[in-house]
Amino acid sequence: MEGITRMSYLLGKRGVVFKLLAVLLAATAVASACGSDSSSDDAAPAATTAAPAEETATTEAPETTDAPATTATPTTTTEAPPVGPSQGGSASLAIEAEATGLRPWEDTCSSPCYNMMNAVFDKLTEQYADGSYGPMLAKSWESNDDYTVFTVQLQEGVSFTDGTPLTAQHIADMFVVQQTGAASAGVIASSNLIGVEATGDLEVTYTLSATNGPFMAVLSRAPMGMVFNAALVPAGDEDAMAAAANAPTGIGTGPFMVTNRDVDNRTDMERNPNYWMSDNFGTQLPYLDSVSFHPIPDEGTRLDSLSSGTVTAMQTLRQATIRDARTVAEDGSLWMFEFQGNNAGGGMFNVLVPPYDDVRVRRGLIMATRQDAIIAALGGEGISEPATQLYAEDSPWYSEEAAEAYASYDFDGAMALLEDYINDADRSDGKAVGEKLDVVLSCPPDPTLIAAMEVTQQFWNETGLVNTELTAFDQATHINMALGMGNEFRGEHEVHCWRWGSESDPGGENSGSAPWETSPFNFSNWHDPEHYALLEEARTTDDVPTRAALYAQASIMVNEQVPIYFSGGTATAIATAAGLGGFDSWILPDGEIGIGHPSAEGRWGQAYWTETE
Amino acid sequence: MLAARLVRLVATLLAVSFLTFFLVNTLPGDPINALIPPDAQQDQEFVAQLREEYGLNDPFFVRYGSWLSDAVSGDLGRSVITDQLVTDEIKHRIPVTGELAIVSIGIAVLLAIPLGVTAGYRQGTKIDQSISALAQFLLSIPSFIVGLVLIYFLSIRLRWLPATGWTRLTESVTGNIKTVIMPAISLALTEIAVYTRIVRSDMINTLKETYVLSAKSKGLKDRFILFRHALRPSSLTLTTIVGLNIAGLIGGTVVIEQLFALPGLGKRLLDAIFQRDFIMVQGVTVFMACVYVVINTCVDLFYMIIDPRIRRKS
Repeated sequence: MEGITRMSYLLGKRGVVFKLLAVLLAATAVASACGSDSSSDDAAPAATTAAPAEETATTEAPETTDAPATTATPTTTTEAPPVGPSQGGSASLAIEAEATGLRPWEDTCSSPCYNMMNAVFDKLTEQYADGSYGPMLAKSWESNDDYTVFTVQLQEGVSFTDGTPLTAQHIADMFVVQQTGAASAGVIASSNLIGVEATGDLEVTYTLSATNGPFMAVLSRAPMGMVFNAALVPAGDEDAMAAAANAPTGIGTGPFMVTNRDVDNRTDMERNPNYWMSDNFGTQLPYLDSVSFHPIPDEGTRLDSLSSGTVTAMQTLRQATIRDARTVAEDGSLWMFEFQGNNAGGGMFNVLVPPYDDVRVRRGLIMATRQDAIIAALGGEGISEPATQLYAEDSPWYSEEAAEAYASYDFDGAMALLEDYINDADRSDGKAVGEKLDVVLSCPPDPTLIAAMEVTQQFWNETGLVNTELTAFDQATHINMALGMGNEFRGEHEVHCWRWGSESDPGGENSGSAPWETSPFNFSNWHDPEHYALLEEARTTDDVPTRAALYAQASIMVNEQVPIYFSGGTATAIATAAGLGGFDSWILPDGEIGIGHPSAEGRWGQAYWTETE
Repeated sequence: MLAARLVRLVATLLAVSFLTFFLVNTLPGDPINALIPPDAQQDQEFVAQLREEYGLNDPFFVRYGSWLSDAVSGDLGRSVITDQLVTDEIKHRIPVTGELAIVSIGIAVLLAIPLGVTAGYRQGTKIDQSISALAQFLLSIPSFIVGLVLIYFLSIRLRWLPATGWTRLTESVTGNIKTVIMPAISLALTEIAVYTRIVRSDMINTLKETYVLSAKSKGLKDRFILFRHALRPSSLTLTTIVGLNIAGLIGGTVVIEQLFALPGLGKRLLDAIFQRDFIMVQGVTVFMACVYVVINTCVDLFYMIIDPRIRRKS
């Protein structure tokens, strides 16, 4: 105030203007002093199939609901909490984007949205820490010999948040809605599911049109796995569909209920007092009384929001932000929960477009590129591990042989392959013998992706055999170019940044390697019947070693043909105010530890503030 | 006069709606691609059903006509992505963007008028030079840089204000002030510089008018002359710019909305464009055009209030 008065005096104006200004600033000061603000009150699977998202986690991309891949062990820089969980308290999570809606069957969901949906809905199955699938609302299950009929027993004593008891009929009713759901319809088709029937009060029978050994993995993701009360979304009721996007009370059985949804600002949830799950000591879950989710798209201000106490946790899928958060965490004010799973950055070649139809060009370009330099350009130095396949090293599907088959950096080898192509009189691009290759590399216009593209361009141009053009389109256009809906799935891309892999079971989706004429999901358009047969065979059993051997063969074929390539594993993290934890210790109903927090997806039903001594 | 303005308003809105519809339709990409994940796009029957449902198979003019007839009755349609009514989205977000625009321009006007009047009155003096230098400085700082600096000092260091988010006035007045102040200041600083220069320039010209010289010769006090006789006629350009700015900020605060994670209309429009949510883009754009035209009409009417000469001519 003194400063304002002095300024008024100096300017010779003590009038209304300065009084108003003084009032405004004073009001701000008073507001600041009146407690915290509302925000801070809370205290290819087979080869070419993969989640469509770009290189590393730097841009928001629609995650396919059950893109293939598997599991990795969570890694964290945080030490185990010194004391156990306390009951109560609030948490507020800054997420990287708003959820389009909270309808598992309708809204395409990615990491931020899964944080929210996991709080409202329970899934039928969940993943253990080793990547296999265990019980959630599905207490147990069995299948027939050819994996076309799965009989599931539901947990007893589970209710929706409005008190309606969960029965098998609810699951059967869900199927009616899911068949026309924007997110679930495709999953139903790709998983061969043709019928869901209540065959008992708590017994559900899933019938498939063809064998699918790892079918239960489908029930671990939102579109088919999250249980909702279909009575709240009667067919043809547009208002009910719109309301369901805000997850009204009674729609889920999860640990929290939505109490306020202010889209693009905050979503508040309170604990479900009748939640059915308890921890291993018999304490009813959830631990927290309330949790809120705040979409903060800007990476920097998201971290600022955590540093300033505006929120108590944040998620990030960007390596550069993890690096910055690690710096902030050095003073002990933050806890870091990091995870490097099967999600990896990289890209693909459209093998229908010359010269990428020739494996010499594909291998040559990748062998001319140093992965560590790309990772550094992406901000992942010391954070992201180089990737060689769809699975991380600690995944049960990882193959050492496939890793050895990857087209690693070998400049001389690259030169030999590219020269061989260029000097081939029958070269596929129609250019004269000895003429340089023209290649077009495209990524979404994210700063780190642009940097990675520029580094790649330097490597390729350094061969003296390649002219590299860089292009960048917004994410929607980038994805549409690869989908090729307008040109019979051929796509309009050449060399295209992409993100590969996920934590889901690799058997969930084989269409990424199906003949490109029938599958928009085969982004690189590379199809080898022998390779595809391996993937199909892997769906005929649920025996992990047998399947792992088949996926290893498939990965080797991919690495030899190089329709897709990798940069580094996408590290993700949940950073929290010191004391907020539970993200890598949550359990399934059988008491076993769950997968942790891949893709920065927290299980908020088991998050807690540690008890202070 | 009013009828002529009304006709102009309708013609403008028709032109804007048609152009927007046309441009959105020429955007690359299919809204269905944004609506459903790639695996669902394998099901051609399902895709065809959705295309039919959203009228995407109809000819351009049929679709536009259909949209227009609904819009005239106040139905701007539903988002193809979220199923929310476009009018609900606008109602939900306009208080945020509107308040941000009004507060930021309010701050700018409150500071720029005394600065501009002083600089004009003291033309050529060190005070004038200092104010001009300050204006130049403010003009050269992008609003998001100001935002980042404010977050650093007021949120991280001092912990006075939340770094991000929005509290609605209906929830808490103090909470609302705390969430609006940093984004509003970020937007206001550039405007302060612009308004100060405009007021200074107009003031210098006004002070040369004969009626001002006459008032001086009568021995009236400087402050009385400045604010009673000189300020009003010196505010015409400012009024025009403020009007344009308010209208512009309704859709133009997207960078600040993104930085401070505010649920505003600009951010919604941007998201809709990236999602190819053509119905949302169409509805929000027409709404913004409507605001623009209405505010400009208000500005024209305001001229008559602040300058009696215009009123008499009318």
